[in-house]
Amino acid sequence: MKGFKLIVLRQLGSQLRTAEWRALLFATWIAIALATLLALLGDRLERGLLRESAAMLGADLILSSQRPINTERIEQAKTSDLQVSEVVQFPSMINIDEEMMLVSVRAATSPYPLRGEIRTRPEQPHSQPQAGEVWVESRILSQLELSIGDQITLGYSEFKVTAEMLSSPDRGSGLRSFSPQLVMHQDDLEATGILAPGSRAEFRLLMAGDSDRVEALELAWRDNLGDEERLFSLQADQPMTGAALGSALSYLKLTALIALLLSALTIFLSLRRFSNGQHKRCALLLSLGLNSKDLVKLYLYQLIIAWLVLSVLGTLTGVLLEQLILSWLKDLLPEALPSPILWRYFSGPAMGFALLILLGLPPILQLSKISVASLFRDEIVGGDKRALMIQLFCFGLLAATLLAFLGAPLAALTLLILILVGGAVFGWIAQKLLRLLAYPLAKKLLLGRLLTMRLEQQKRWHRLQAGVVILLMTLLSLVWISRTDLLADWQTQIPDDTPNYFVINIQPWQTEPLQDFLTENSIVSQLYPMVRGRVTTLNGSSIHAQMSPQQLEHNTLNRELNLSWSDTPPSHNNVIAGRWWVHDTTEAEISVEREMAEILGLVPGDILGFNLGGIEVEARISNLREVEWTSFQPNFYVIFNAAALEQMPATFITSFRLSESEQALASQLVREFPSLTLIDIGQLLQQIAGWLERLGDSSALILGLTMLCGALLMLLTLHQALEQRRYESALLQTLGATAQQTQRLDLLELLLLGFVCGLLAVITAELTLALLYLNLLNLQASLHPTMWILLPLASTLFFVISGFLLRRRLTLSQCYRLLRSA
Amino acid sequence: MTLPTTEKILLEAQNVAKWFTTQDQRLELFHDLNLKVLEGETLAIVGRSGAGKSTLLSLLAGLDQPSAGNILLAGRSLAEMDDATRAELRAKQISFIFQSFHLLPELTALDNVRLALEIQDCKDAIAQADRWLGKVGLGQRTDHFPAQLSGGEQQRVAIARAFATRPSLLFADEPTGNLDEETGHQIIEQLFDLNKQENTTLILITHDSELAARCQRCVSLHAGQLHEKVYESA
Repeated sequence: MKGFKLIVLRQLGSQLRTAEWRALLFATWIAIALATLLALLGDRLERGLLRESAAMLGADLILSSQRPINTERIEQAKTSDLQVSEVVQFPSMINIDEEMMLVSVRAATSPYPLRGEIRTRPEQPHSQPQAGEVWVESRILSQLELSIGDQITLGYSEFKVTAEMLSSPDRGSGLRSFSPQLVMHQDDLEATGILAPGSRAEFRLLMAGDSDRVEALELAWRDNLGDEERLFSLQADQPMTGAALGSALSYLKLTALIALLLSALTIFLSLRRFSNGQHKRCALLLSLGLNSKDLVKLYLYQLIIAWLVLSVLGTLTGVLLEQLILSWLKDLLPEALPSPILWRYFSGPAMGFALLILLGLPPILQLSKISVASLFRDEIVGGDKRALMIQLFCFGLLAATLLAFLGAPLAALTLLILILVGGAVFGWIAQKLLRLLAYPLAKKLLLGRLLTMRLEQQKRWHRLQAGVVILLMTLLSLVWISRTDLLADWQTQIPDDTPNYFVINIQPWQTEPLQDFLTENSIVSQLYPMVRGRVTTLNGSSIHAQMSPQQLEHNTLNRELNLSWSDTPPSHNNVIAGRWWVHDTTEAEISVEREMAEILGLVPGDILGFNLGGIEVEARISNLREVEWTSFQPNFYVIFNAAALEQMPATFITSFRLSESEQALASQLVREFPSLTLIDIGQLLQQIAGWLERLGDSSALILGLTMLCGALLMLLTLHQALEQRRYESALLQTLGATAQQTQRLDLLELLLLGFVCGLLAVITAELTLALLYLNLLNLQASLHPTMWILLPLASTLFFVISGFLLRRRLTLSQCYRLLRSA
Repeated sequence: MTLPTTEKILLEAQNVAKWFTTQDQRLELFHDLNLKVLEGETLAIVGRSGAGKSTLLSLLAGLDQPSAGNILLAGRSLAEMDDATRAELRAKQISFIFQSFHLLPELTALDNVRLALEIQDCKDAIAQADRWLGKVGLGQRTDHFPAQLSGGEQQRVAIARAFATRPSLLFADEPTGNLDEETGHQIIEQLFDLNKQENTTLILITHDSELAARCQRCVSLHAGQLHEKVYESA
């Protein structure tokens, strides 16, 4: 037995010198590292999110509304023996000296929060700020260079910053949940003078208590929610940040799936090649007295030892990578993630086991079928039905493990199929294109015929190489472009005079002084009135009776709309059907946005009914407008004639552009009009760019590993192909070809393959980007000239340089020895 | 024994030595080895395994360089030729027949022969290849791939390939080593027939004394030296 162990160890040592065994080890290492990374990151993020979503809600049930919560609802909750808390959340600027910052303010009554807690530094004796105090998040402290104890101004009031919020529940939904947060007591709100009727704020009623009572109330309210009301419960709703992180996680997981697939493919090919290279050795060991069972044991032990060592290495690498990604994403993540569950550390090794042992078992079993006679004659180990069945079973098991591992089996399966089909199609096109390019070239070369024959003979190999390389390069260029150019492309397509500031919450009595302020400072802008209302009827009957479920789900019907009025069409809108109304028309008329009209089937002449805060208004559609939504101008789905709405209580909105040198005017405006909400679009864009960059960094890391797997796979197959060609080169040289000629033939083939892969990758990437631009971003698709040069060049160089380095030149004496030994 | 058709020396080894240096040892395979091969002559080189027959063949064919001494082909020193000249020499004047046939598996019989002609830049490679396959009795099998041919048939394709370039010197390294006795006999008959027709100089390496006896001359490589060997009957 001791002797057997020695054989295993000696074999392990000696096989470290072979390329296929090294590739196998390396691919398994990467696979284990990636699987560990995903398991740890996924588990911690998911559990963190679940914990966060309970704590984020800060309650068992939340009723949210764009208007102050109906007092009846509050009473109903109280009579159900539920604890309640009222919260108002709104965006506002805070300032200290000349510095200012847009934050999301939450003003809450006591007690607050009802579930979870606001974690602060330093720790506070109360669960929420007391009168005259505010608690702020670290981003506010760092951006305004504030310290605990400093004073800040909010509206007309001064507040003392008494704590930094490390985490807090009830961050709200939508964009406000991403903004830096400030919490204050609701008793202080009125004095700030910030909120006025029509202000853009979210009112929430937080409720907590016995779960049956909460459920009963939820059930009772779900069916009779007002147009402006929404209900959030722990089970049914995920906060916005959760959705964003969920998407980020899916993105990382899908990128990792590709890497895992490539690792699996590399491991599979290495194993096949490894086992093919073991035939003579096995026959020899059998001739020396080893039996088939010992042989299987020998190779299984070898794989198990390799797996054990790689499990340690791979897990360590995975943990390191996880820490790296978490540090990149720390601004996006909940403050404190739960520690990983211990067994998650074994996910990577488990994946490694599945890959290495399950894939390795069939070729090992095949090795046990080798006969000693193969030492005397060339013998092909025939296809064994049992081995084939085991192989199929192992593949199925492996696929199931991969899919289960990724947590989203359907998405993973779809992607898997897309990758396989895409890879096969790309490979097929590449091979055809390769032939097209090579045939005319071959006519001019001495060994040209051999080149064309080789293309024919190697078509499977070319398809595999091309499929993998094109997919990888396309993916790489998409991540690269989305990380660097997408936002820049978007920004360059925005005209220079596009507004970069929005002002909302302008009260009617502020329009004149504000207009004066803007005119004095030569700022071009137009104020638009805004009334909130919901579409209720079409030509006298309820829209619910006339619209299909799909139409009713349209953005304009399932929420309150911002409606405006004007006697002239906005300069950035074009009337495309009907006519704009005459200046002093008294009949209620409206102009409707084209897409809304198309989807809802509206035509000029139809009469739409609206509910404007309880007042019913009907108006005839006189025209349809084309709206440029990305113009950064205030845009409206529906515009009334002035006479129809001007008596309604409204707030105003405007947008304007401030150049770099005029930025100080923004601060001046906020100082003079503290109740207005100024939104800095530039800063928002910067924030989005920051996010894209952080997500890009994380995906670039995983993509880097994916590329490494891909490169490894390429090098392995390339090495294999070049080794096979050594024999061919040796024969050609004895037939009179020079070493240079055979080298040129190999390199020419690789050059053509590299060029074709790069070309197809660039075409695929451009098409995908064009689709993204046109459909998702509504931007004009543009070509990326650098990519057209870089991708084919990089791909060609990769193939040629790898070929050059891997190809071992044969001297004439080696040629003859090789032929004699073959 | 049949005498050479001419007295002109085609190949000559002059005081050739070959040694290999390992870490601290010099292993000498042969020293002061001399050999003259006349045009049209058939010469067998025999010897025990490990005597260096194949190394000698690769030296004589210009595939390897001697450690000392000189090898002349048609009066020109192989050592003084550059790679391109030696490649041209192999394409136009020298051919090989191997024990393991060495046909390219992805090419048909016709394409295997044609390839050698194309390396020579032959204009009517297809017709020539077809003709040579006809000569070795494979006129009906030109489109078959090596895997579809028997061992004897594969060796015939290799013979056709070797003669198709009209070499002046043909090296055959154990050409029947992988064949059964009867097929081996047929192959040898064909080889000697074509050799006679083409007036090619043939250097044959073999263990088979019967085969060696069919050559006009036979030398034995032993202890690094060549010894003339005389057979009683050809």
